[in-house]
Amino acid sequence: MSARDTILAAIRAASPANDSGAIAAEAAALLRDPVRPALAAPALPKAFEVKASALGTTFDHVADMGAVPQAVRRYLDGHGLPPSLALQPAPALAALDWTGIDTHPALAPNEPAALGLALWGIAESGSLVIHSGPETPILLSFLPLHHIVVLHRDNLLAWLEDYAGKLAAQAIPRNAILITGPSGTTDIEGSYVRGAHGPGFVHVIMIDGG
Amino acid sequence: MHTATKAPFKDRAKAALADRTLKLAIDRTTGTAETKRAAAVANFPEFQAARDRGRAIKDHVIANLGHYLEMFEKNATASGAQVHWAVDDAEARAIVTRICLDAGAKIVTRSKSMLGEEIGLPHALADAGIERVETDLAEHIIQLAGEPPSHIIWPAMHRTREQVADLFREGHNPPPEAEDPATMVQSARRILREKFLGADVGISGANFLVADTGATCTVTNEGNAELTTTPPRVHIVTAGVEKIVPSTAHAFALLRLLVRSATGGEMTQYTTFHCGPKRAGDADGPEEMHIVLVDNGRTRMLADEFREMLRCIRCGACMNHCVVYRQIGGHAYGGTYPGPMGSVLTPVLDGLAASRDLPNACTMNGRCAEVCPVEIPIPTLLRAWRTRSWRERLEPGSLRGGLGLWAWAARRPAIYRLGSRIGVRVLRLFGKGGWISHMPLAGGWTGHRDLPRPPGRTFMEEYRARQKGTRK
Repeated sequence: MSARDTILAAIRAASPANDSGAIAAEAAALLRDPVRPALAAPALPKAFEVKASALGTTFDHVADMGAVPQAVRRYLDGHGLPPSLALQPAPALAALDWTGIDTHPALAPNEPAALGLALWGIAESGSLVIHSGPETPILLSFLPLHHIVVLHRDNLLAWLEDYAGKLAAQAIPRNAILITGPSGTTDIEGSYVRGAHGPGFVHVIMIDGG
Repeated sequence: MHTATKAPFKDRAKAALADRTLKLAIDRTTGTAETKRAAAVANFPEFQAARDRGRAIKDHVIANLGHYLEMFEKNATASGAQVHWAVDDAEARAIVTRICLDAGAKIVTRSKSMLGEEIGLPHALADAGIERVETDLAEHIIQLAGEPPSHIIWPAMHRTREQVADLFREGHNPPPEAEDPATMVQSARRILREKFLGADVGISGANFLVADTGATCTVTNEGNAELTTTPPRVHIVTAGVEKIVPSTAHAFALLRLLVRSATGGEMTQYTTFHCGPKRAGDADGPEEMHIVLVDNGRTRMLADEFREMLRCIRCGACMNHCVVYRQIGGHAYGGTYPGPMGSVLTPVLDGLAASRDLPNACTMNGRCAEVCPVEIPIPTLLRAWRTRSWRERLEPGSLRGGLGLWAWAARRPAIYRLGSRIGVRVLRLFGKGGWISHMPLAGGWTGHRDLPRPPGRTFMEEYRARQKGTRK
């Protein structure tokens, strides 16, 4: 007997199989009236910003996509970084006017700063959502020291379950990642140190208008 | 588990109790963990309702484990992942080693996984001549020290910052410029960065296996897991069969409990779902993804009185709040999993004969069950091991004899009362100023704390005297 058959037979012997319709109904009932913490504020943008800021994520607000390059420049200048940026290969970003900033698609192992798009923001936890794909290298969110993320305020979701619903409604990507603040560790004596292997800085440029 | 010949539990515990630096290290981390968890629970007034729901989700999965494993296998396979099954640790090690060798792996990066420790993966990779690079900061620390983890969330909890500084000074070239945690973390970032990008295989565990998508989910704070699973050509996940959840939304319900209970945070920095290998056109990702589903005693637990232990989501709250763990630390337990949950699991994994001391190293104060996010009755399960140990006659003759004598006396009240009258008066002879600090045959107790000097009369004597008084 294969390992698979041995394991499944042992499971069947210990718990008799139930009807799959009944199992699905019970699983669905466990999701009804989800038990979750209150949002940090009644309005989603405020709730999201409160949660994300508490974890060290910083914010800038612009009216539209066209204003993103200036916001990026403000951030780089504010941190004393050169005007150079690894850019996510997404048409919405490539179409912007990057005069004065050197943008490049390739990521260096110690890339200082990168700019990418978040699909959604989750207000409950202050999390940004990234899905892998042809236009979204996962390493863009992990190699740089400064990770700058563009998020449209229309793409804010209230709860983790709302995101689960979005994910279930589409073809699931290879990687779906919720990024909640800069990387950190408490591995030495439990004391928090910001900036471990991933970005030490996460900066959100929120598009407030069209 | 890969078990070397070990000193008996009592000797390990005695050595741990004598180690003041160890006590300092444990106090620093568990103290912070306890405070932060309490604050996180206070900030989530519905925590008890969330616990009830989490427990119900786990019980639902445990009752339908076969159904969900088959669903997971079907969906993971459809995503392009290869699903393997392992009955025990030896099979799991062999599968992972074979995949690494087939991939021609020279360097393997690993993101922290207790299941990997359970199946003895570190030794198996070394035996196969493969360089293993631990990428979680705590795992990196203990790899430099050549030690196993001493805690399931903070594997290097037993090391003070001063000791970590010593290890980094030896193990990092160039050594860190200063010995504060922030500088040491930056040094590890610099050292490990090149390893991430040069690895042939990345191995991770899973906090959840999502049945309806076939995805595995890891939750981490450092960012090392994604740097481990993205660049190499091959990604291997090892996971216990009990990690399954019906859907992503069910995983989130458990995640809310897991993070608050483990670190006192609300959400880990990175919650990552891995679903198959790189897709056509994807910008990065591994060419192959393998998922090894490991039983290793779990289906045995499903069939006996330890079934509730399969609810465990590995948060570590039970050990952070355990008075015994906080005195002796994780290594003294001798198994992969320390503390209260480890004392339930180690007899399953290593056999009761080799680990019967662990269920006895418990005060039954019930703190572990109080803080358990899925309400596992850990003291009840430990008592079940004690009962089984008695039935299987694993207790030493001195204990069986002593308990037999006690039982004989307990059934004869006159003799029992006489015995306790003598006992109380003898105990008083060793007391000074209300406390007993030395007594023959009681060094195991008085070596570490004083025993209160008993009052002059037994409970029954006091009771009789008071009854007489009220009748007056």
